[in-house]
Amino acid sequence: MSLHTKGAAALTGRVINIQHFCTNDGPGMRTTVFLKACSLRCKWCCNPESIHPKPELAYDLKKCIGEKECGLCLKECPENAIYIVDSDGKVRINWDLCTNCGKCVPACPSNALYEFGRDMTVDEVLAEVEQDASFYRDSGGGITLSGGECTMQPEFSAALLAEAHRRGINTAIETAGNVPWEFFQQVLQHVDTVLHDHKLTDPVRHKKWVGADNVRIKQNYKRAYETFPGKTFIARTPVIPSVNDDEEHIRAVLAFIRPYKNVVDYQLLPYHRYGVSKYGFLGRVYELSDFTAVPEETMRRLRAIIDEAFGRSEAAKSA
Amino acid sequence: MTAPAQRIAINIGSGYLPGLDAVVAGAALAANHLGWETFGIRDGYDGLLFPDRYPDKGLVKLNGRAMGADGPGGSVLGTGARTDPFRMRTVNADNQVEEVDRSDELVRALQDAGIDAVISIVGGSALTGLHAMSVAFKLHRKGLRTVCVPKSVENEIASVPLAFGYNSVLSHTAETLERIRTAAHDVGRLAVVEVPGEHAGWLALQSGMAAVADAVLLPEIPYDLQKVAEALAAHERAGRRPALVVVAEGARAAERAAFPQAEKGTLRGSLTPNAEPELGEGEHVIDRAGAAASSVAAALRHLTDREVLPLSLGQLVRGGAATTVDRQLGLAYGAGAVRALQRGEDGVLITFQPPDLKCVPLAEALKRVRTVPASSEFVQIARSLGISLGD
Repeated sequence: MSLHTKGAAALTGRVINIQHFCTNDGPGMRTTVFLKACSLRCKWCCNPESIHPKPELAYDLKKCIGEKECGLCLKECPENAIYIVDSDGKVRINWDLCTNCGKCVPACPSNALYEFGRDMTVDEVLAEVEQDASFYRDSGGGITLSGGECTMQPEFSAALLAEAHRRGINTAIETAGNVPWEFFQQVLQHVDTVLHDHKLTDPVRHKKWVGADNVRIKQNYKRAYETFPGKTFIARTPVIPSVNDDEEHIRAVLAFIRPYKNVVDYQLLPYHRYGVSKYGFLGRVYELSDFTAVPEETMRRLRAIIDEAFGRSEAAKSA
Repeated sequence: MTAPAQRIAINIGSGYLPGLDAVVAGAALAANHLGWETFGIRDGYDGLLFPDRYPDKGLVKLNGRAMGADGPGGSVLGTGARTDPFRMRTVNADNQVEEVDRSDELVRALQDAGIDAVISIVGGSALTGLHAMSVAFKLHRKGLRTVCVPKSVENEIASVPLAFGYNSVLSHTAETLERIRTAAHDVGRLAVVEVPGEHAGWLALQSGMAAVADAVLLPEIPYDLQKVAEALAAHERAGRRPALVVVAEGARAAERAAFPQAEKGTLRGSLTPNAEPELGEGEHVIDRAGAAASSVAAALRHLTDREVLPLSLGQLVRGGAATTVDRQLGLAYGAGAVRALQRGEDGVLITFQPPDLKCVPLAEALKRVRTVPASSEFVQIARSLGISLGD
């Protein structure tokens, strides 16, 4: 079925964010569209608002104007999920009772209560994305779908990328590959660059840190490399201290990807904590609160192994 | 009111406190006295949800007379950790991680075991909030007969002047603070000690008073460290070398930086309001023990030019043996819960309101958090003792 139809343009997907002028999400200057839903639960996730498929309530205490001056949310909540802390008179969310029904959100005049996730059509997303079109032409950039796991919304992602292609926009996705092959294949048809994660190689450790094993992920990647020889694949690893910041992991990934000529690079993304504040908004606990950054020396050493495997000498890089 | 239960189960929600077995023993003794059978559920509800993990299949018959209530600490049943029967993480047939509701299965398991009612020991926790009480409330709404017993480190549960465990934690905290103060005083250091208390400063205030702290910083009274430094200097001039500042983990500075707001109605505002660092930070109910002590200590080092030692008590005061007050209170709470079930109570929290044990609906207890009133006589007494509250 062709996706270049009026119906496809009106297809809706659940979007969390559209971020402009991104430089780390594929070639050139890109506009990254973050989609909701993920099939993994990485303990270091920096987009916790993307995990669950439905819109989720978030709360910013500092913006609450208090029960005495307002208190409207308390009247709207059907679940007894909003309570008062006497000392500051402000509300808190009982996240165990909250069902994310969203009824409190329109009642909140100060925007302290809000939702992550909004349904948008292909046309609506592209209208926002195309504002950056002139930057794409100059930089070789385009649209990147991220998440969450963008292939968890396969029809919408495929329609969005197909329409972007039709409008002459370069396409990329960021994926962890843990979806049925049919989903993966449906989206990949319309992608120019596939940024794909190799988080851990051992399936037992993968399950411990990420929530599920990596057997299907590896099957999907191999099949994708072979099914789409003309597409560009870039392997990536979020380097997490004491989890996968070792040579053994890097060499195992290299052994997996190097037989395939269409895997043109392997990039390392150093661990960061930019998403920690969002855990607070969502009432979740960030489990890696004691983790620190990976030393730059470790990153240099690991990157040198990759450069060597890809035949990139220091002299060649500086030239 | 419903018919009295004949066969009951008891479990413990997340978070350990000294002497939890006193509550279990109290319930078992009172139930045995009525001729009822009592069972303990292992590790919150895990015993019923994962019976194969346990040699006794997760449900253990209790004999109150054999249990005693004066053990060295620890709990025979285990606590609920973070398991939530309404949102159990699992990997589905498609290898996708998801959270599923297993509460129906849990209610069925209770029915299959012939359990008529459950006594849940529930309470506040900085990390999990009112999680265990909320789970009990939701199970009650599904038709499970439930009576809850309050336990808390912060003593912040609404309608409960004295939750189980608080007295022991207070005692351990005060004793530890006293040791720290003495050692710091003798070597001329200033100890900044963080104690549990995300929303309520009861523990910081009462233990700080007992240990004669120089300053106590509470979540209820935003602090100005310049004023704390001035109070410490005044103590020094009066011939009392300052040695101890107590900080509740939820204490906050009075001044906060202004933050920009995403305009409501714009696309950006509708998609990710507040999701970026420059748009503010989330409430810091995140595992972050020690953060309050570190930041206060760093600032006081700068303001006082003293050697400042940040410490965090955290887990240290949650263990150990229960005090006499808690052993008695625990037995009474356990027995009181059974007597409430005998009266046909359901969906309630037992509360010690001297000299009585009363019942409040769970829905009421979930509506508020009980904090230290900033203008109360209790706070004024702390000031009279020369303790700076940072305001």
